[in-house]
Amino acid sequence: MSKEYLGEFEELVLTMVGVLGEEAYGNAIVTEIKDRVGRDVNLSAVHVTLYRLEDKGLVKSHMGGATNSRGGRRKRIFTITNAGLAMLRAMKEARMDLWKLIPQLKIAGS
Amino acid sequence: MKKANHDPPRWPLRFLAWFCPPWLLEGIEGDLLEQFDDDVRSAGISVARQRLYWNVLRLFRPSIILRNRFLFSLHSIMIRSYITVASRNIVKRKLYSFINAVGLSIGIAFCILIYLFIQDESSFDKFHANGDYIYRMHSVMYTGSRAADKQGSPYEKISQVQLALAPTMKAEIPEVQYATHFCTNHAILRKDDKVFNESIVYVDADFFRMFSFPMQAGNVDKIFTSKDEIVLTPAIAEKYFGTSPALGQVLMLGDRSLTVTGIIDAPPANSSLQFQVLLPVEGWGAYHQRNLDMWMNLGFPTFVQLYPSATAANLQPALDQLTHKYMKQELTQWRERDKVPAGEEPYRIGFLKLTDIHLAKDIGWDKVSDPQYAWILGGIAVLILLIACINYISLALTSSARRRMEVGVRKVIGAYRRQLVYQFGFESVMLALLSMVIGFILVVLFLPAFNQFTGKDIALQATNLYTLAGISIGITVLVGLLAGCYPALYLSGFRPVQVLKGTFTAHLSAGFSRPLIIMQFAFSSFLIISSVIMYKQMEFVTTKDLGYNQHQLIVIPTQAGWRENSNLVIEQFRNRAAGIPSVVSVAGTDYPFAGNDWMVFGYDVNGTQKATYGFTVDAHYIKTLGIDMVMGRDFDPNNFADTVKTIIVNEALVKDMQWTDPLHERLNFHGRDPQAEGSRIIGVVKDFHFLSLAETIKPMFLTMDRNDGRLTNMLVRIDAKNIPATIAQLKKDFAAIVPGKPFEYSFLDENVSQQYASFNRWMNIMSLATGFAILISCLGLFGLAGINAVNRTREIGIRKVMGANLSNIFILLNRQFIILSLVAWMLAAPLAWYSMQQWLAKFQFHITMSWYLFAIAMMAGLVVALAAVSYHTVKAALVNPSESLKYE
Repeated sequence: MSKEYLGEFEELVLTMVGVLGEEAYGNAIVTEIKDRVGRDVNLSAVHVTLYRLEDKGLVKSHMGGATNSRGGRRKRIFTITNAGLAMLRAMKEARMDLWKLIPQLKIAGS
Repeated sequence: MKKANHDPPRWPLRFLAWFCPPWLLEGIEGDLLEQFDDDVRSAGISVARQRLYWNVLRLFRPSIILRNRFLFSLHSIMIRSYITVASRNIVKRKLYSFINAVGLSIGIAFCILIYLFIQDESSFDKFHANGDYIYRMHSVMYTGSRAADKQGSPYEKISQVQLALAPTMKAEIPEVQYATHFCTNHAILRKDDKVFNESIVYVDADFFRMFSFPMQAGNVDKIFTSKDEIVLTPAIAEKYFGTSPALGQVLMLGDRSLTVTGIIDAPPANSSLQFQVLLPVEGWGAYHQRNLDMWMNLGFPTFVQLYPSATAANLQPALDQLTHKYMKQELTQWRERDKVPAGEEPYRIGFLKLTDIHLAKDIGWDKVSDPQYAWILGGIAVLILLIACINYISLALTSSARRRMEVGVRKVIGAYRRQLVYQFGFESVMLALLSMVIGFILVVLFLPAFNQFTGKDIALQATNLYTLAGISIGITVLVGLLAGCYPALYLSGFRPVQVLKGTFTAHLSAGFSRPLIIMQFAFSSFLIISSVIMYKQMEFVTTKDLGYNQHQLIVIPTQAGWRENSNLVIEQFRNRAAGIPSVVSVAGTDYPFAGNDWMVFGYDVNGTQKATYGFTVDAHYIKTLGIDMVMGRDFDPNNFADTVKTIIVNEALVKDMQWTDPLHERLNFHGRDPQAEGSRIIGVVKDFHFLSLAETIKPMFLTMDRNDGRLTNMLVRIDAKNIPATIAQLKKDFAAIVPGKPFEYSFLDENVSQQYASFNRWMNIMSLATGFAILISCLGLFGLAGINAVNRTREIGIRKVMGANLSNIFILLNRQFIILSLVAWMLAAPLAWYSMQQWLAKFQFHITMSWYLFAIAMMAGLVVALAAVSYHTVKAALVNPSESLKYE
């Protein structure tokens, strides 16, 4: 695993960028997190996190096409990079390794 | 509905555009607007607006703002240029920068020190976990006319209450959780051959539950269950037991053996409660039933702790009930005797929160302090800082001629005025920052001296270092802006056309800098006058004839306690000392003055309350001290009758009693028995200062009557030859007479000057401040004179060619400084006169402020100022005109 440490919220946002593919921009991530995880997150927090992930090279961004809504502003679309995917995978594997170490309890009667 | 209502609020978006990096702005703005629209649909316009505001506010954080790469890089180029220009300027004009840096750094150092002082003052007693519930009890007594010399309230407050108050409050007032005495005393402790006189404090077991003084050893719950226990601080424990553990060891107090049951940390310097040795109050000789029953006997400081749920307001009625229950008869008597008007209470018990006692200056206590001190110190610091700022401003203004070219060229090239303001402001802030670093070093260097001056024990700790750094950066930036603001605006205002054409006269337009110099001079003069007067007064105090000879007089406590035995010790000692040729005489007394202890007797003469000091002495006292008799005779050592109801009084008492023939009068000074005949008067001594010069000479008598007091101290007059040998001999004799007791001695004249320690401290602080103020303003003058001389080089050259000699030019250049300093002095003198009047009023005996003191101060100031400016004027005057006219 790389030395770079990923916070819980960072990981969540990074995952969502991966999930949304070409439709990953700030607002979509907020709605997606709310729909899928049921968590109310702040738009500004998501933005700040996205820029931080970009600094770490885990996502990259480009401006989308012109829109009619949003006061005519374009979207900044984020896409996950290979490094980002590798990071997510590494974290998942590390977690699974740890998970296997927990004695699995079976609920009696089932 | 109009569409306009659904428009997003404009301000947050503008704010966002201001701080947000442009390349991020579009994406963020779009998201915000999209969310806003969604919110309007789902939650309504007001929620949407709120959310937008909140989001923008949340975006205003370093991780967004610092992304301003483009914006920042533009600024950073300019900032880098500012830094370069500023540092070049600082380095180029070394003298000018040196003067400014010295002044500012001393000013900043002073401010930091004062901040530390105030922080220490306000941190007093704040470290107790139960501090919010602990109160100190005090007595409020109606003293009516007797308190006339104190202003205002007819009540006097003392921190002494009844011995029984602590147990009674705990038993009868439900709000009280804990109560303890805190009675300071002295005792001789012994462990084998180690014998020391220790300051001890009698407390109750509750003491350890109330206060947060950490115990190093011992069980808090079981401490002081028996009378024969003792608790020590580590330093004391080490003194008696060395490195071996003290817990469980035995110390002797007289013939009692006390077991050490606890080791407690010594209280920090910012604790009002100071102690080294703690003893259970139940084991104290004074703790007996008779004292517990005497509710008129006030002499036992007491602290209580209320339950956290209790309200302190309920305490006062409960205390009033207690006084009415236990002191009914006494209060009625008191009311009649002192003619207490109806509606006033002759006596009440009051209470004060622990954290407030340090600054409660109306109730005497060990370390009580006057909040006024902090104000005066702060005032001095601000004055010094102001003087330094003025230096900066006036130097910048007068040297502006040198920079006008720079300003002109910069403007021609295209600098905005704002950029020039930034540049000059940056210069001053940078200089201030440099000064701050020096100031910090000064603080570290001066802290020990400052502690000594203020009698404090402040240390720089990591914990207060952060706040300190914050404060000093705050001060620094403020000073930098304050000092840099006016010069920056002034310098940036030059018109390039005029400047570059050269029509600008070489003369400085110093319109604004003159009042500044006057102000600066006035501050310095004020400080000079004040310290001259303070110095004179302290000189007066230390050299004034006190009416007795206080030199070469040694005070030795007999260490025999308040017993008849003590008198015998002195007798024996005198016999032995007769064999030492360097001992002139030996006398005994109960209270050697210049201490805090004395005996005052109150009595009633034809309905007026009077009070007199009384000293128990022996027949050698007047001779040994060298007090003059004005009437009658001294005590006769061979006449037994002189030891019975016989007194010698001072002139003040004769005057107070309005006697015309004192030798045929009698004085009954025991107020408790008004019918008694009183003591006969055999002599009158000339008034002598048994109190400090801050007090008038009060009525006083001397008695040899054993019923009035015991002789607990010896006064030994020695001659000036080989004092250490004499003291060694006295020690030997003392050990032979009272074996196993410590030999302690002090010189009376030192004790006397000790009374003025606090006044001396203030004088020291004032003279230190004066020294720095003079230094800073002289440096300023020095720089100013230099610039002035350079500005007038050509003028001087022409004058010399026309035949002016050195002195003409000297006067020409110095005239304005002399006039300025005279004006300043005239402003400062009345102020100094007023404030010194206040200070001198604290002394009953003081010098009068004569005109020549002011003249001395003025001359001193003038001489120093001239000395500062002369270097440059002489240098300018000596330049060969052929050199100076080549100039320009």
